[in-house]
Amino acid sequence: MFISLWEFFYGHFFRFWMKWLLRQMTGKCELQRIFDTYVGAQRTHRIENSLTYSKNKVLQKATLVVQSEVDKCVEDIMKEKNINPEKDASFKICMKACLLQISGYKQLYLDVESVRKRPYDSDNLQHEKLLLKLWNLLMPTKKLKARISKQWADIGFQGDDPKTDFRGMGILGLINLVYFSENYTSEAHQILSRSNHPKLGYSYAIVGINLTEMAYSLLKSEALKFHLYNFVPGVPTMEHFHQFYCYLVYEFDKFWFEEKPESIMYFNMYREKFHEKIKGLLLDLKLNLVKDLLKGAALYE
Amino acid sequence: MGLLSILRKLKSAPDQEVRILLLGLDNAGKTTLPKQLASEDISHITPTQGFNIKSVQSQGFKLNVWDIGRQRKIRPYWRNYFENTGILIYVMDSADRKRFEETGQELAELLEEEKLSCVPVLIFADKQDLLTAGPASEIAEGLNLRTIRDRVWQIQSCSALTGEGVQDGTNWVCKNVNAKKK
Repeated sequence: MFISLWEFFYGHFFRFWMKWLLRQMTGKCELQRIFDTYVGAQRTHRIENSLTYSKNKVLQKATLVVQSEVDKCVEDIMKEKNINPEKDASFKICMKACLLQISGYKQLYLDVESVRKRPYDSDNLQHEKLLLKLWNLLMPTKKLKARISKQWADIGFQGDDPKTDFRGMGILGLINLVYFSENYTSEAHQILSRSNHPKLGYSYAIVGINLTEMAYSLLKSEALKFHLYNFVPGVPTMEHFHQFYCYLVYEFDKFWFEEKPESIMYFNMYREKFHEKIKGLLLDLKLNLVKDLLKGAALYE
Repeated sequence: MGLLSILRKLKSAPDQEVRILLLGLDNAGKTTLPKQLASEDISHITPTQGFNIKSVQSQGFKLNVWDIGRQRKIRPYWRNYFENTGILIYVMDSADRKRFEETGQELAELLEEEKLSCVPVLIFADKQDLLTAGPASEIAEGLNLRTIRDRVWQIQSCSALTGEGVQDGTNWVCKNVNAKKK
């Protein structure tokens, strides 16, 4: 009650006068002050908020800009805010970088979503090739005897045809699995062999697909924002999403063996615990997540 | 009896809890069905590792639905979940004709389980939204359901995707439950 009252007054009244006062004192607008004070995710996050809550239509719309129109958008903002490019030379560069990150995050979600929505299709030669590639990467010394085979269970699929296991994650699940196995082959082999542990083992591929779901839902809920704003100076791409997935796979395996669950039946409980842990780490705005989050994972050396 | 315990009793009286066990081959629709019943989003489902529990209120019952994954690694644990089962729901993919034999075998094995003896069984002939799906009557024939004599059973065609037939199945569950209080 009190908080919402405060928010109302702040949003409608105090915020305006505070900004006016600060502007008179410093001779700079809020956006410029943010650039002076903050870096990394904190900067982009504050710029995004400032634009979103602005009463000025040009500024408000800036968060929805598409990549190709970022340059023009920066010019419009500078005109609107009377920012002299000679006096404040860095504004243009900083604003552009922020808008690329802000619009890039939104675009990345759309890109990931469109891949996720594409179901695995056995009639699609590319999909089939990718699936066989996964086998060859994970099992270089063992030949797959047939496309439909019980052998698929050796890398943690459920039945004798993996196509039904991708389900809600579509081809995104397979692309993630292949990306990890291709770029971090030795880690993938190590984790696959650990997943065959007699007591603590889990189904490698199925857990991988579950982690795709986790990475996807973190992206969708915007929980990945701070991490990407810190990690990627410009436009984040699919590649960055895959890398975050790899991080999850690597960390989950570690987490699972540290927790020593009673049996695989408790997977969902530990999955949730792991999810909460990651969400907590991603909340931290100030830390350089690239260094701190990825430290320890040999992956990111 | 203190006031608190009376209140507690009043509060818990209307809901009889029923433990429902959901089994079937992989990719039959075991996770989607209870989600559909609870009107949850079903577009992001991934294969179940371990199990999921979902509680759904229906007709004065609290249905605790246990949906258990079906990977090789999990099979040895199935039995741990058989005890106190009120209703067994067996889900099958009506369009996957290649696996009719496998799914029939699996069902037959379950019906022989001692801990599940006399437990009413509902067979959901799922995925009726697919053009290639077989009708329930044909499936009942193929699975030899008529030979089941030791318990009540029912086959219900449904589509977990569209929700069609799911409520009918739930009604049958509520009617036939040996309302056990947990």
